[in-house]
Amino acid sequence: MQNAWLIPLLPLLSFILLLLFGKKLKEASAYAGILLTFLSLVLSVIVMAGQWGGESYKAEGLWLNIGNHPVTMGFEINPLNALMLVVVSLVSFLVHLYSKGYMHGDDRFHVFFAYLGLFTFAMLGLVLSPNLLQVYIFWELVGLGSFLLIGYYYFKPEAKAAAKKAFIMTRIGDVGLFIGIILLFWQTGSFEYDEIFKAIGNKIISPDMITLTAILIFVGAVGKSGQLPLHTWLPDAMEGPTPVSALIHAATMVAAGVYLVASMYPLFEASAAAMTTVAVVGGITAVFAASIGLMQKDIKRVLAYSTVSQLGYMMLALGSGSYTAGIFHLMTHAFFKALLFLAAGSVIHAVHTQNIEEMGGLWNKLKVTAPLFLIGALSISGFPLFSGFFSKDEILMATYENGRYVLFTLALIAAFFTAFYMFRLFFMVFSGSPANHTQEVKESEISMKVPMLVLGLLAIVAGYLNTPWFGSFLEDYLSQGPVSFSTEEVHGPVWIPVLAVVLSLAGIALAYVMYGKKTLARDWLSRSFPSLSSLIYNKYYADEIYQATVVRGTTVFSYFWSYVDRYLVEAAVNGTAGLVHWIGKKGSEFHNGQVQRFGAIALAGLVLLLLIFAVTGGYFS
Amino acid sequence: MNYMLSLLVFSPLVGILALSFLSWKNERAIKLAGLFGTLLPLILVLIAAAGFHSSVSGLQMTEQANWISYTLEGLNGSMQLKINYELGITGLSLVLLILTAVVSFLAALASWNMKNASKSFFIFFLILELGMLGVFASQNLFLFFIFFEITLIPMFFLIGRWGYADREKAAYSFLIYNGIGSAILLIVFVALFMKTGTLNYGELTKILASPDGAAVAGSTFRLSVLVSLLIAFGIKLPIFPLHTWMLRVHVQAPPSIVMLHSGILLKIGAYGLFTFGVGFFPEEFKKLGVLIAILGVINLLYGAFLAIVQTDLKKVLAYSSVSHMGIVLIGLAAMNEAGVKGAIFQLVSHGLISALLFFLIGVLYERSGSSDIQDFSGLAAAMPVTAGVLLAGGLASLGLPGMSGFISEFLAFIGLFQTMPIIAAIGALGIILTAVYILRAVLAVTFGPKKETHSAFKDLTVLEKVPAFVLLALVLLIGVYPEILSKSLTTVLDTILLGLRG
Repeated sequence: MQNAWLIPLLPLLSFILLLLFGKKLKEASAYAGILLTFLSLVLSVIVMAGQWGGESYKAEGLWLNIGNHPVTMGFEINPLNALMLVVVSLVSFLVHLYSKGYMHGDDRFHVFFAYLGLFTFAMLGLVLSPNLLQVYIFWELVGLGSFLLIGYYYFKPEAKAAAKKAFIMTRIGDVGLFIGIILLFWQTGSFEYDEIFKAIGNKIISPDMITLTAILIFVGAVGKSGQLPLHTWLPDAMEGPTPVSALIHAATMVAAGVYLVASMYPLFEASAAAMTTVAVVGGITAVFAASIGLMQKDIKRVLAYSTVSQLGYMMLALGSGSYTAGIFHLMTHAFFKALLFLAAGSVIHAVHTQNIEEMGGLWNKLKVTAPLFLIGALSISGFPLFSGFFSKDEILMATYENGRYVLFTLALIAAFFTAFYMFRLFFMVFSGSPANHTQEVKESEISMKVPMLVLGLLAIVAGYLNTPWFGSFLEDYLSQGPVSFSTEEVHGPVWIPVLAVVLSLAGIALAYVMYGKKTLARDWLSRSFPSLSSLIYNKYYADEIYQATVVRGTTVFSYFWSYVDRYLVEAAVNGTAGLVHWIGKKGSEFHNGQVQRFGAIALAGLVLLLLIFAVTGGYFS
Repeated sequence: MNYMLSLLVFSPLVGILALSFLSWKNERAIKLAGLFGTLLPLILVLIAAAGFHSSVSGLQMTEQANWISYTLEGLNGSMQLKINYELGITGLSLVLLILTAVVSFLAALASWNMKNASKSFFIFFLILELGMLGVFASQNLFLFFIFFEITLIPMFFLIGRWGYADREKAAYSFLIYNGIGSAILLIVFVALFMKTGTLNYGELTKILASPDGAAVAGSTFRLSVLVSLLIAFGIKLPIFPLHTWMLRVHVQAPPSIVMLHSGILLKIGAYGLFTFGVGFFPEEFKKLGVLIAILGVINLLYGAFLAIVQTDLKKVLAYSSVSHMGIVLIGLAAMNEAGVKGAIFQLVSHGLISALLFFLIGVLYERSGSSDIQDFSGLAAAMPVTAGVLLAGGLASLGLPGMSGFISEFLAFIGLFQTMPIIAAIGALGIILTAVYILRAVLAVTFGPKKETHSAFKDLTVLEKVPAFVLLALVLLIGVYPEILSKSLTTVLDTILLGLRG
């Protein structure tokens, strides 16, 4: 446990090694990355095993003095972050393995693995951080990893735009986090979690300040987790290679916002307003993003909007006071969404397109990928006995028990949407007649299948960590942590899971009728509501609205000041220079050699001096 | 008696002497002499640093010699005036001396590929270095002023003779503005001398802070002196709206000289504001705190907004300098340890980062003959290392954690949030804007479809890798382990904060 600091450093080592020697190693770079992340995974599992019934551990060293406040850096192990360590290093390891096949033949193969290492380092560092400043540091570094990997195909204008957008939009959120951290520092004199929690417990911070800082920190989470209104970067981030989407934009980084709220839970719990904000933003995002997912044609974008929606669920859970449900869903989602992305990558790898309208009939051709995708789809749709069923149920229960009936209804609608868009995807890709492919469709190689199989297994069994039937292992485990939350069993009415299952089945059935059996025309709904469907198809015009307001506004404002700088400030300056020039010119006219003028000036000067003498009454005293 | 500092300050003379014996035809020898001329001060400054005790408060390595002494006869009796030759360093001046020596050496290295870098270029270069070293080592206002003026003259020629198309206008604009600044400084220094009878920093501080200091210099006098200093050094820093001259210099001067200009010369403004403004008049500085904070935020946002729409990389960086100097003002205005420390960190950090970025622009210009953003695209294909370092430099500039820019930005804001949270919150918008303009410029150059014309470009040569990697390594070092810089600043900060607390 004392050696837990090695966990993030191993992937950092991979980054440095590949940066230095990657060019020579070529595709052997993959082995370095795979081996080092595997070691991280092993250590993480050991650390987590030690946490089961063990004590939290913390080690720190001085980093910088700010006045009388020493700022430290170090690492901390508690049940929550030990769990996150395992999730992150596991998914990272599997993605490394998968990428070996997926990225085969790429020119910058080693750069890709170097970036993966950098990202994994930052994400693990974020999870291990014992204080908010360190969280912020790694928070920005995961953003860097994400930025570099989204822009991996740097020569594509779309990738360039997406990378830039991701960085800037998340930075808008980061400023909120930045201010929140600083305000908390001046309130409590520390960045440390435990000091801050102590101050909240002792009611040192005023309620208004608690609400303000909690909401500012949440703004940071909104940016990273793609919540409304800062969600538009996440679908664009799909420009990155698909393994990246699985690792960063499904399983780990985007969940960092949820993790942040969870690790600052005492702060949020101390303010009802902050909790409501989290719940409302989460609930609305869940249904909003799910509705967009209904009509997208790009397989990765459907999954991206699905991610946004599922992250909304997690926020809803946390805002409704259910810490365990939020973390539980974070974990199950990491597995099934990473699975879905990797399976989607395998499909894309086989058919070389991302447009689902150009796919079809792949069930018989991709004999491993197809069933695994089905497992992922069933899991996310909340089909009974799959992992998503248990975690989503808990969220619904928590929301209902918390008395947030409107949000509860929204969450139910989102659940229906989820089942529908997932199976729309499934039927369009795998059922029906094969689309015309010039190339032979081949199943992916073994290094890509293994990660999917592992995740497929986890997507089924991870749900049993916390069930009403077998016991609440996860909750018991998490409750040993520093963050205290109510552990009493949420016993919502029995009709909630039943209703959820019915809705999920209805979504699947509708998708089947429209896209599987095709007894119902695909466009029966969009024809009935053309304006609504075009609104949804165009993602509620969020990008266009931002373009027209914020982006345009900033540009116009900048140009305005640019002209001011060029014509007013510069002109004033030139005016001064001109004045000096003019005085010089006039002055030189005096030197024209006329004795009379010299005499007149000398006399005038003498008169002036005498006058000053007379007025001041002596030497310039 | 210890002559370390005098040796250091005047060490560029060795290079100048060597150069003057060389034939102007022997280009290689001239360049080598220029390079070794800057290596000597670097070695000396490192020796000085090794002998510096960061835990000891006050001046170190002081030198004093009688210099000018005369009696002023007036109607109110005679006055004995003495001006000594006084050198000495605090932790702050040591840090700036190291920065000067390092950046000068790397800039000399960056001049290696300059086709028209002649004998006189390196002579002016070394005189400039001498002036900069002297400014930071001086312990009295007279000496400071002389060294300050020494930097102006070679700079004028370096811009005017070796700059780009519009170089002469830039050189004159540089001279006029800085001349005005110098004139104000001179008046201020003379006024202080007449009131107190001394020009030594330490004695001045003591007299002005003493209980009967009010009799020596009244509060109106103090305030007007401080405002004059703010204007004089505001030109140098620069503070909006006194910044236009510096845009011209950034655009027109040769890249290696801009490395010095942006990296070090701008810092003299901040150093002066810090040593004389905060050091001599802490009470008055406090009164102006809100004003300075607002000026800082204006600098920060104004520079950032304008950088967003520039099409010339040099202008992007020039406005970025305006913006980043805003952070210095913000930090100083906070008047607490975090803020002042942030301001000092920003001096060093910006010095390194802007030197790095201007060096890279020089590299790009050398290959393409342009620094217009629109002339580049997808450079990462032809010059992956250059593109990587450029991106890293850009990230450092936008304050990515793990690099020096973050530490200074973070400390300055932490400081200001304690004293003026509303102004600080407005200033925090600059963090977003910085990301916008940096990424716009850097990605436009390195990302995107590659241009055919770029394929002939060579990536960084071994000689070019030295400045690039050394600067980047220093930026990373400070970013990862800020205590390395912080340690030597402790006593300076304690002294200053003591003054601020009153």
